[in-house]
Amino acid sequence: MADDLPEQFDLVVIGTGFTESCIAAAASRVGKSVLHIDSNEYYGDVWSSFSMDTYCARIDRVVEPHSTLRNASYTWHVAETAPETESIETQGDQRWTRDSVMAKSRRFSLDLCPRILYAAGELVQLLIKSNICRYAEFRAVDHVCMRHNEEIVSVPCSRSDVFNTKSLTIVEKRLLMKFLTACNDYGEDKCNEDSLEFRGRTFLEYLQAQRVTEKISSCVMQAIAMCGPNTSFEEGMQRTQRFLGSLGRYGNTPFLFPMYGCGELPQCFCRLCAVYGGIYCLKRAVDDIGLDAETNELVLSSAGKTLRAKNVVSAPGYSPVSKGVEMRPHISRGLFVASNPLGNEELNKGGGGVNLLRLLDADGQREAILIQLSHYSGACPEGLYVFHLTTPAVSEDPASDLSAFTSLLFDRSDVQLIFSSYFTIASQSNKSAAAEHIHYTEAPTFELDYDAAISNARQVFNKLYADAEFLPRAPDPEEIVIDGEDPSALNENSLPEDLRAQLHDMQQATQEMDIQE
Amino acid sequence: MAKTYDYLFKLLLIGDSGVGKTCILFRFSEDAFNTTFISTIGIDFKIRTIELDNKKIKLQIWDTAGQERFRTITTAYYRGAMGIMLVYDITQEKSFENIKNWIRNIEENASADVEKMLLGNKCELTDKRQVSKERGEQLAIEYGIKFMETSAKASINVEEAFLTLASDIKAKTEKRMEANNPPKGGHQLKPMDSRTKDSWLSRCSLL
Repeated sequence: MADDLPEQFDLVVIGTGFTESCIAAAASRVGKSVLHIDSNEYYGDVWSSFSMDTYCARIDRVVEPHSTLRNASYTWHVAETAPETESIETQGDQRWTRDSVMAKSRRFSLDLCPRILYAAGELVQLLIKSNICRYAEFRAVDHVCMRHNEEIVSVPCSRSDVFNTKSLTIVEKRLLMKFLTACNDYGEDKCNEDSLEFRGRTFLEYLQAQRVTEKISSCVMQAIAMCGPNTSFEEGMQRTQRFLGSLGRYGNTPFLFPMYGCGELPQCFCRLCAVYGGIYCLKRAVDDIGLDAETNELVLSSAGKTLRAKNVVSAPGYSPVSKGVEMRPHISRGLFVASNPLGNEELNKGGGGVNLLRLLDADGQREAILIQLSHYSGACPEGLYVFHLTTPAVSEDPASDLSAFTSLLFDRSDVQLIFSSYFTIASQSNKSAAAEHIHYTEAPTFELDYDAAISNARQVFNKLYADAEFLPRAPDPEEIVIDGEDPSALNENSLPEDLRAQLHDMQQATQEMDIQE
Repeated sequence: MAKTYDYLFKLLLIGDSGVGKTCILFRFSEDAFNTTFISTIGIDFKIRTIELDNKKIKLQIWDTAGQERFRTITTAYYRGAMGIMLVYDITQEKSFENIKNWIRNIEENASADVEKMLLGNKCELTDKRQVSKERGEQLAIEYGIKFMETSAKASINVEEAFLTLASDIKAKTEKRMEANNPPKGGHQLKPMDSRTKDSWLSRCSLL
């Protein structure tokens, strides 16, 4: 491949993770020349999804001191091949082997960093606002679950759920309704007695004061507000409102999961960046970065080529900017493949969908998020189930960090595990002494949705281009009317303002060229 | 809102840089040829509705957005694609040789039953030809796909190529529908109406 890469850019972005891809798309969208580069051969960095064989290859890869993905291991719990005598498989009782799972390797999209989106949350709003939503499809989460009396049960989300559920008494249903109505109205009436009385106290205290039953209390704490015992009253209210505000948009629950896994999302942003002229290079590292004091530009060397950039954004874990930087464990992850789903038949009707379960350990102090995927998510072959378990790291050993939760899930259930894997996602504990022009993004934080990642992207973008809008709406192709061969015949009025300005610049440049000729 | 079409097909254009994918796209969708300003105004797909056997078919044709340049096409690009136009330039031997690599790429990333078609573009440049029509035909036979030589500039066979691909996908889709096995898809996000905050009370999905 001939290396006809341009040498001068407004912005070079190193790493194609979610946050970096957001920034690259936003910069390209407002007319900046962007080079987006990644030393990996795939998009997404630690936000990527993998087929089964590429996942194992990724886990086997040598860890460098500054790598974001570390402490990784995997184990197969089934035989490599089926013994000759069992070669006759009957339908419905398929015995999985390592080979038969690997034969479906491409049907997996195994996420390093799986997330669930609030249907009216930050990311969904950003995707719609920027029109990047046309690159992705979503599955409405089928069940929001909780553990009650050692069983996994569904939390009723829609009105019909509430009416139909047998797990709540009529009195409980009315209490839950009353409570949620109060949460929904919270904040509208500033003089509300409750909001004054409970200011500065915990959400749990408020909940207990409403005299709800223990079951409703766990519903709200575990699944709806997703709180801990120390969550403040105000935050608990906000979280409940967030849940309620996302109901009724898509499907039965307030949550969405991207079809084919979360690794699609950075790629959607990259696509927008490319549509507006951003250049993409994978499998290409930046070897060195220096500052040209005269021009105040950053000089990068990559594969023997010198590139110049006004600004550089880098993800943690990429050399040269992260070399010598200390990494500390940040998120502990478990990834499991099983031949049957968690919970009863009702939770997995028709082969199951996407289920969400927030777990608390025995003391209620530590939490973990479990996402169960069936083949309807596009991220798992039919007949198999993927479980993603995520918790904030407390040690360098992800398996021991997660053992309190895996024992709750798998010890006394009939789940047949086929494959299990653990790894740590690390973040930088200090900044390297790199030039001030280099902006770092943060490693993935422990959150359900992408709020922190988007806010990080927005913050870096605002530092770079304070006056520019962050991801304004990209027009639909139908809105761009092209008539004949003359670009000036474009229907300018149908274009957004910033594009009109770009078109104007382009026409001016064309005129100047004509004059020179 | 009533649907103005019977079928919606997502098609992709794939092939080396400079083989004329975007020109083919514009010839088919706009019947125009100048495309120098595409990356500036951010077009990533074009739509044209055609009619086959009294069925209205909306073709949504996606361009690579230049991501083929360093072989960095996203896996997301291939999701949900029902047809792929593989394009090479008859005046560039290399672009023809690379078709094999693109087919491998498709096999790794696209759905297994995607309809493919091979196009040798720029067939008006006869004196610069490096790849004979026979070699194109031979390669297409090898992969069991259809083949045409096209010219986006002289408007040769572009229309025919898309109609052929669309009609093959239509046949396949109808066969699948007869078998009562429609493909399952996810939700597309849509702008939210400015609902009032307490509307969840009055809505069907009220808790």
